[in-house]
Amino acid sequence: MSEPSVTAAVATERGRTGSGLRRLALSEYLVLWLSVIYAIALAPFAPGFASTGNFANILISLLPLFLVALGQTVVLITGGIDLSVTSIIALTSVIGANVMSSAGGWLAGSPLAAPVAVVAMLALGAVVGGLNGVAVTWLKMPAFIVTLTGMMFFSGLAIWFTQSKNIGGLPEAFVVLGGNPWAAAAIAAATGGFAHVMLTRSLFGRWLFAVGHNAKAAHVSGVPVRGVTIAAYVVSGVCAALASILYTGQAETGSPVLGQRVLLDVIGATILGGTSLFGGKGKVLWTLCGVLFLKLVDNSLNLLNLSIFTITMVKGGVILVAALLDVARRRWAGGGA
Amino acid sequence: MKRVGSAERVLRQTPVILFLVVLGGFGLLSGSFLSVENLVNIGVQAAPAGIVAVGMTLVLLTAGVDLSVGAIMFVAAAVAGKMALAGQPFWLVMLTMLGIGGVFGGVNGFFVTRTGVAPFIVTLALLFVGRGFALWLTQTRAMNLPDVFLQLGATRVLGVPLPLAGFLGIAVLSQFVLMRTQFGRQIYAVGHNREAARKAGVESGRILAIVYVVSGVCAALGAILALGQLGAVTPKFGENYEFKAISAAVLGGTSLFGGRGAVLPGTVLGALLIQSLENGLVLLNADPYLYPLITSAIIFTAVLLDSVRNALLARLQRRKIRLEPELGSS
Amino acid sequence: MNAVAALEFAEVSKSFSGVRVLRGVSFTLPAGRTLGLVGENGAGKSTMMNILGGALRADAGTMRLNGAWHAPASPAEAERAGVAFIHQELNLFPNLSIAENIFLTSFPRRGGVMIDGRTLHERTAAVLAEVGLEMSPQTPVERLSTGQCQLVEIAKALAHEARLIIFDEPTTSLSARETEMLFALMARLRARGIAMIYISHVLGDVMRLCDDIVVLRDGAVVAQGPRAEFTIEKMISLMVGRTLDHLYPVRKDAARGAPVLEVRRLSEPGIVRGIDFTLHRGEVLGIAGLMGAGRSELARILFGLDRFEEGEIKLDGRPLGRGAPRDRIRRGLAFLTEDRRAEGLCFEASIADNMALVTLVEHTRTPLRLLDLGRWRAAIATMRQAVRLTANARDEQPVRTLSGGNQQKVVLGKWLLAKPRVLILDEPTRGVDVGAKFELYQLILQLADSGSGVLLISSEIEELIGLCDRILVMNRGEIRGEFSRAEFDRERILQAALPGEEVRA
Repeated sequence: MSEPSVTAAVATERGRTGSGLRRLALSEYLVLWLSVIYAIALAPFAPGFASTGNFANILISLLPLFLVALGQTVVLITGGIDLSVTSIIALTSVIGANVMSSAGGWLAGSPLAAPVAVVAMLALGAVVGGLNGVAVTWLKMPAFIVTLTGMMFFSGLAIWFTQSKNIGGLPEAFVVLGGNPWAAAAIAAATGGFAHVMLTRSLFGRWLFAVGHNAKAAHVSGVPVRGVTIAAYVVSGVCAALASILYTGQAETGSPVLGQRVLLDVIGATILGGTSLFGGKGKVLWTLCGVLFLKLVDNSLNLLNLSIFTITMVKGGVILVAALLDVARRRWAGGGA
Repeated sequence: MKRVGSAERVLRQTPVILFLVVLGGFGLLSGSFLSVENLVNIGVQAAPAGIVAVGMTLVLLTAGVDLSVGAIMFVAAAVAGKMALAGQPFWLVMLTMLGIGGVFGGVNGFFVTRTGVAPFIVTLALLFVGRGFALWLTQTRAMNLPDVFLQLGATRVLGVPLPLAGFLGIAVLSQFVLMRTQFGRQIYAVGHNREAARKAGVESGRILAIVYVVSGVCAALGAILALGQLGAVTPKFGENYEFKAISAAVLGGTSLFGGRGAVLPGTVLGALLIQSLENGLVLLNADPYLYPLITSAIIFTAVLLDSVRNALLARLQRRKIRLEPELGSS
Repeated sequence: MNAVAALEFAEVSKSFSGVRVLRGVSFTLPAGRTLGLVGENGAGKSTMMNILGGALRADAGTMRLNGAWHAPASPAEAERAGVAFIHQELNLFPNLSIAENIFLTSFPRRGGVMIDGRTLHERTAAVLAEVGLEMSPQTPVERLSTGQCQLVEIAKALAHEARLIIFDEPTTSLSARETEMLFALMARLRARGIAMIYISHVLGDVMRLCDDIVVLRDGAVVAQGPRAEFTIEKMISLMVGRTLDHLYPVRKDAARGAPVLEVRRLSEPGIVRGIDFTLHRGEVLGIAGLMGAGRSELARILFGLDRFEEGEIKLDGRPLGRGAPRDRIRRGLAFLTEDRRAEGLCFEASIADNMALVTLVEHTRTPLRLLDLGRWRAAIATMRQAVRLTANARDEQPVRTLSGGNQQKVVLGKWLLAKPRVLILDEPTRGVDVGAKFELYQLILQLADSGSGVLLISSEIEELIGLCDRILVMNRGEIRGEFSRAEFDRERILQAALPGEEVRA
């Protein structure tokens, strides 16, 4: 799995007349090609699409989504799913804001406010992730219901905590993290790079894939399946918290409904990029491509003045197509017996 | 085997136990909770989500899930609103709503049976397509429907408010189908193991498709009843109903893994239980922000118990060597 | 009333992915007779029966059922034609009742929709009486024992008026008493003129029950005829194609080393009782017994996959706690599981990833535990050579593209890389072709020669006799017999596995 899957795909295609279409669909970089083609195709129609200013916009909105999707990728690789990420974003946003807000926050005015808030947010993300992981492993509950309930609970918690109000007055030091595109890009790049190395070259990464492929066989082979699974959810929680730092910085307020609309984008982007819902497959680069494509679509549809409704519908369609592609790829690579 | 029997029996009765505990608890805390009027009120309020939950139960029994029910409700209601405000006859509006439910359900059914994509992804995608479409239809504005809808809520059948009667009627019908028809029994077989059912000659594909259509129609029915209560369509119409429906079914003993569960008493009790919680909390003037917290905690517990039951069953069904001389029967 | 059913196979062939699994199989089953079908694992018995039962289509050849052309497109069609297949893995729904399982696609109905409860009850009770199962038709199947479930399957066949019933290894999970009941039932069915095909590894049973016998080897019929023409030895040599001597590598009479694994009073209620034995360094200790005797369960308990209530396990004199596989591996145990698909391999993962899974840590460098790709590749390459894995497969290929024998080599290689002190093997040659079997045997013996202890669980007594220094026989959760090499005797071993059963010569 440290080799590009193209080699594997070619190896299994050996002896079979693979159609060009099939090979394209199985290609790792399908989505990247799609993005390029789409961008070129749409440039003449969408006003202002092909400007550097617009690309910068796309990049900025892309980065936090990429972070959440990274965490989701890790969880998907183990064969699970994390639907609670949006609520983690909201909860960490309000807790963090409450720590550092100059308007009555716990550490109002202190120079330590921003760093402590950041640490608190990350820790909270890890804790919620850990709770998810424990429920899935120790309590043996299905991941989607655990994280779905979690989503309800933690977003309810965030709303209750702030009584539906936003928390403003965030220190400059913090806002810079999210609002400044360079800072955001640095964070995203660092996390992405770290995740890439972890997935491709580390022991933990190998264990993640093994658990996703066959948790029973992994267990027999001495892989600490429970620990690895819990760790995956913790990673997802921390990534959501990181994204929350960026989102909160961009919005300059702590909001209990932050990131509400992001769930579909996250799942759609990850699967579109090539990470499998069935586990055992996933790459940082793929997720990046998936996020890029989704944001391109989003941005262009916005510029074409299509309503939020159409965009939502289109995205729903995109997620379906992504899932169909996932199934098809599995079947084609599997020899379709 | 005896150990299984008693532990399993207790676990099976959890819905009833929980229900009695909640009723008892609120009854103690609030004087007016256990009045006939309030209890009927609970029933009426629970009816929309309850009907949706009945449809969801069928889907869950096949080891699937339908996350699009809330969106289907919204689309049906939005279309109904448009038609009603355009002066279309009431019966046509009703019929169209049911038709929409059926069509959406059919789309779900098609993708689930023909493409091998997980039900939760298919219905999740349809959730967003539906919601987006309905938001466009309503242009994010609320629509007030003509009074004829509100009358639905006020009509009484044999002294019982129509919504409650409708809910119970659908529940009884579904339970009958599940227990006393070949189709119903085959649903349980498919839920246990789709492939084994196919090998045994059951038309798994057809059953799955029908079940999702039924869920869609139940969602439409739920929308009708909800319109009867609210008399209007708002952008939040049908929101979170998928969650309520799943919770009611799971609380009522339906297993998320498929093959186990019932509409009566199960899901009906579950729906009433959830509504009792909300009703009770309101009566006690509890902080409304706490509702989602309490509800999600209860649902989590219900699913936890379901998993525990499954783990117990699995452990006790491990290959057992009979070390004592066994009897030829029983 | 005695419907006459005759079965004819004419030149039936079947291939999977270019591998010929059935080669022109032809035989005849006269009406109302019972046919025994014997052959090694992979000889083609299951494929043949799956074609007969409608789960697979033949590539060539024809079948005639009672004179009429038989080519079912699905199991349901085969069932309608009167063929019933009682599988080894029973196909019942535990969440439904006996009656509902039997009539799942043919409920008696009132008014076309509603199930007629009374008729359902009556018909079910009638057919249950025929098979001798005294249980209420309303009983949920999850409450039945395996033997009882099997009777329900047979009842189902009778309810659908089957005229040909195929039994696939029916006695593996049955108690002795249930086996007797099954045989008595088969005699009754025979008297009714129902034809039967009986597939089993228990050759003694085959000799006892069947009128005619067909022996399959490598997908072709090598012998067929009335029972009188066969003996157990003849069947074995026909199945195997050569005498036992050349099947197994020559075993050096190695001196027994110090004890490496000691098990005392190991018990888990309902699973195993009072297990007591010692495995020595350099020894190959076999565990024989029928399925359901508790062998795999014992292995799982030893490896930490399942719990045990009482008893003690010691490795090199030091006790093993109630740890998990991870723990066992660290102490030097290895376990090749019964079902490589479920627990042995990650089917979609590459050969390299599968092979390195247990010993990954050894190829990493702190602090982040990053893989040293060079060391990793070298270790895998060396082991590939050692197990003689086919050169046609590249490291990155998913293991599902390999043959059964090569897959098993990957699993074995995975464990050998860990240099275990004790290797437990559960049915290591299941689904493996004869050539690969020999190579696996060599590897196992090599490991023993190098000083490790080997625990070999197998359903093929011949295999155990060929490889082991000692054989333990398990029966219903206990150890019922122990044979040293000098005492190896197929009949006596079998006898210990089936107490109270006379083994016919």
